[in-house]
Amino acid sequence: MKVNGFLKDVTGASRVTKARRELIEHGDPNNIYSDPIRETAKELHPEVTKVRVIDVKDVSPTARKYRFAADLGDILPPFMCGQYCSLDLEIDGTVTTRPYSICSAPFEAREGAEPFFELTIRNGRPGEGFVSSWFYENVKEGDTFKAHLPFGQFYYEPLRDSKHIVGLAGGSGITPFYSMAKEIAHGTMDADLTILYGSVSTKDIILKEELEAIDCDRVRLINVISGDEDYDGEKGFLSADIIKKYSSEDSTYFVCGPLAMYHFVRGELEKLNVPARRIRMETFGAPRDITKAEGYPEIKPALFALHVIRGIQEDLVQASSLEPIAVALERAGIKNNTRCRSGSCGFCRCKLVKGEVFVPAEGDGRRRADKENNYIHACSAYPLSECTVKIPIV
Amino acid sequence: MAFYKDKYDVIVIGGALAGMSCAMRLAAAGKSVLILERHNLPGGMATSFVRNGIEMEATLHEMMSLGKEDEPLYIRQYLDEMKVAIDWLRVPEAYELYSPADGIDITLHAGRRADGTWVCADEIDDKYPGTKKEVNRLLETCRKVYESVLFLNEHTLSKAEMLLKHEALVKTAGYSAKEVLEKSFHLPEEVVKILSAYWIYVGQPISTLPFTIYSFLMADYMIGGSYVARGFSHEMSVAMAERCEELGVQFEYCQNVEKILVRNGRVYGVRTSRGDEIHCDYIASAPYPNTVYGRMIEPQSEVPVQARKYANAMPMSVTCFSVVLLLDQKPEDLNIHSYSVFSSDIPFDTDVFWAQGRNLGGWDYLTTICLNYANDEAVPEGMTSLSITTLPLPESFMQVRPDQYFDVKRSVAKEMIKRVSSHLGVNLLDHIVEIEIETPVTMSHYTSDYRGGIYGYQHSMNNSVVARLEDVEKEQYIKGLVGCASHQLVGDGMACNINNGKIASKMILAMMEEQA
Ligand SMILES: Cc1cc2nc3c(=O)[nH]c(=O)nc-3n(C[C@H](O)[C@H](O)[C@H](O)COP(=O)(O)OP(=O)(O)OC[C@H]3O[C@@H](n4cnc5c(N)ncnc54)[C@H](O)[C@@H]3O)c2cc1C
Ligand SMILES: Cc1cc2nc3c(=O)[nH]c(=O)nc-3n(C[C@H](O)[C@H](O)[C@H](O)COP(=O)(O)OP(=O)(O)OC[C@H]3O[C@@H](n4cnc5c(N)ncnc54)[C@H](O)[C@@H]3O)c2cc1C
Ligand code: FES
Repeated sequence: MKVNGFLKDVTGASRVTKARRELIEHGDPNNIYSDPIRETAKELHPEVTKVRVIDVKDVSPTARKYRFAADLGDILPPFMCGQYCSLDLEIDGTVTTRPYSICSAPFEAREGAEPFFELTIRNGRPGEGFVSSWFYENVKEGDTFKAHLPFGQFYYEPLRDSKHIVGLAGGSGITPFYSMAKEIAHGTMDADLTILYGSVSTKDIILKEELEAIDCDRVRLINVISGDEDYDGEKGFLSADIIKKYSSEDSTYFVCGPLAMYHFVRGELEKLNVPARRIRMETFGAPRDITKAEGYPEIKPALFALHVIRGIQEDLVQASSLEPIAVALERAGIKNNTRCRSGSCGFCRCKLVKGEVFVPAEGDGRRRADKENNYIHACSAYPLSECTVKIPIV
Repeated sequence: MAFYKDKYDVIVIGGALAGMSCAMRLAAAGKSVLILERHNLPGGMATSFVRNGIEMEATLHEMMSLGKEDEPLYIRQYLDEMKVAIDWLRVPEAYELYSPADGIDITLHAGRRADGTWVCADEIDDKYPGTKKEVNRLLETCRKVYESVLFLNEHTLSKAEMLLKHEALVKTAGYSAKEVLEKSFHLPEEVVKILSAYWIYVGQPISTLPFTIYSFLMADYMIGGSYVARGFSHEMSVAMAERCEELGVQFEYCQNVEKILVRNGRVYGVRTSRGDEIHCDYIASAPYPNTVYGRMIEPQSEVPVQARKYANAMPMSVTCFSVVLLLDQKPEDLNIHSYSVFSSDIPFDTDVFWAQGRNLGGWDYLTTICLNYANDEAVPEGMTSLSITTLPLPESFMQVRPDQYFDVKRSVAKEMIKRVSSHLGVNLLDHIVEIEIETPVTMSHYTSDYRGGIYGYQHSMNNSVVARLEDVEKEQYIKGLVGCASHQLVGDGMACNINNGKIASKMILAMMEEQA
């Protein structure tokens, strides 16, 4: 043995050696293993939760709310308003996931005869969204899913945020605010919420009835309609003027909506000199058209060979320059971990062994050392050449 | 088609610092090595995270055992030898100790002068005149113990040589830091307190901390100073992971090892949560013996009674509670002027601090680290990166249920922020841009380490490193299985775990030789 008992036979050392041997001799000879902290960690962050659809409801002409309860012996983990859930999906040979903000309130997952959580999924143009249209056409009560939750940092943090939240929402971005509104009304979240919800017309308002049904003086909803001159209320976009009108002296702004809205709202908040720490933005998903992203090189759309290393195995698949590597893997039926699909959570981290990719600056949530050593987040890396990636075995 | 080879010489469970250090050295010796890491990142606790595009350090405050480039200490030497390149930045001071109840507010720096005297002895003498000689004598003793330990880490000596050449070590090996500090040196009470501030880096009160460990810590920090990596601890972890792969280690992420397979008292493989059964001759394990013997060994009938006694007897050391903050002003504007501050809100007493670790909150000893002062460019312009940490015992969190979790961690964090705010005279709650609260549950979530432990087993007088070394061979309860993390010989800390990994590799190589 090459490790030396370096004080063999030396006085003094024998004092501590004896003490330790006694300690061990008095150890319990039975298996008394227990790790309550591990149990708590697992309950807070379950690897996977099996869930079942228990209700489906239209909440606008283009959006549907799905209610999920834990399936067979599983329990729902606690979460915070504004966090999201990722669903595992298998559609025509494609294994994929999608993130959806949880639109129900945390207390609803803890209380009642059948605790539940809800997701509202929008399907703007039928047949367009690959997963959302599939959801619309196929998912019904009784269907089961593997869900991963909770994820995301888009939540109210009382140690950081002002007690007055101004929610700036667009489209399906209303969902986290509906969750907050209900939690506040229930008395389990101590904050005031003013929602400024931008829609083109009143028809587009998602969760309209549900939002109107919330009866609580700490919650206010103001619809801001951009495409209807005759609307009797706030008109136009979520401009500085409107934001200012509904803000208090020190508000925290939570922004959730389509990418175009982020750019606009960011500029408006700047006009109001809102300090950076008072602005929280939800991640916005992958860009619809990567070639329009800032810094995208001048190359023609192409299909590239993608070599995929898992362990000692290598597979060859195809990847489109227009889609992230994560999607190429999915189209090829190769499982890969994804959660946020926006480049920020890092679940899809893998090594780019060879080749070149484009990573949009807005979806680059990588660590510095990862950038320097060619690690990528596959959901926000678009191939620019033949590539080789080494991914985890899933 | 297969993801794994039929068999590996060694499977390393856990791709953290110890595991990677072990794997790298085995691969360099020509062995086939597989690392199975449950997370999608290397490094375990040595990691960072990104919030809204801003990277934040999860753990690394001070990396020890590096020393300057031209005077490298043993871990810098080892990393150089293994060709692991990391961009280290030196931390400016050793520490500030702020304990108003004792009238103590002093800042010490590392460094030893050409004449053999220590910079911090002068700094202490400035405030407590007449102590210079004794402080120098104490640090010299520490340095001798340190050098002996390092020498004996690599060589074996006869008893006569030991007594002759390593007298300081031999004489003090059976005593606690408190015994030696108070009985062998004539120092005012305040100075003993000042020189005990690092107790937190081993999580052991000085009354039960072996002087051997105390000396090692003091000498290492005071000779070599401390460092952070320019690219956060993730830079260190990635550099080691890259080097492992260059050396031929197969490194697989997202692979949780569920079972360690044992037959006739000897390991022969593992089974992962994915269901892969992978074979090998040796295993180096990051999971604690409690977890390994308690639920990983299959079949359980292969666990010897002596192994259970061992795991059940080992006293768990601390876990951690850390509040990581990004603040909206420059440090100077928040009245923050030091990299590293240890503060006490009551008269300094490591026994009391340690006992407070059983409670949820009410912790009087805090470590506050301001990253700007070591790595300014890592923090967004005009902002401050600050962490406030304390190291409670696992029992503090054992009763916390998932439903109370968010409230509990916020209320404890708030108390800690308020304490530091009152020291600074600035309400930090008005300046928070980002906040993350790391608890024992967080540690367990990311590493699955037993009870969220971060420091392995206690460095107590009845679990002294001297005794651990003496009995290491006897404690190989299952053939082919070696521990490889903080619960092993050298204990906690990043540098120590690189060393734990190195030692594990040595043990495996020795067993291979014996087998052959
Ligand atoms: C944190 C977060 C929260 C969200 N919350 C909500 C919410 O509450 N409600 C909501 O409606 N939406 C929400 N979204 C958006 C949601 O996750 C989806 O992006 C959105 O529903 C559109 O998905 P889709 O499948 O319909 O679109 P897709 O058409 O699927 O487009 C997205 C991606 O799928 C790829 N793709 C297209 N066809 C295929 C194929 N055949 N195989 C494999 N990949 C393919 C595309 O290349 C593209 O990268 C959220 C997003 C994030 C990041
Ligand atoms: C807040 C904080 C601050 C700290 N500051 C410092 C500091 O300034 N300086 C310092 O030196 N030290 C510091 N430490 C301590 C230091 O981080 C740890 O002691 C050290 O990193 C532990 O390394 P390790 O190799 O023992 O393994 P760990 O980091 O504990 O990791 C164990 C690894 O094994 C993996 N694993 C476990 N079980 C399995 C399984 N069944 N299958 C597969 N993989 C598994 C885990 O995922 C993990 O990667 C700090 C710790 C904390 C929490
Ligand atoms: S899935 Fe979150 S970064 Fe790719």
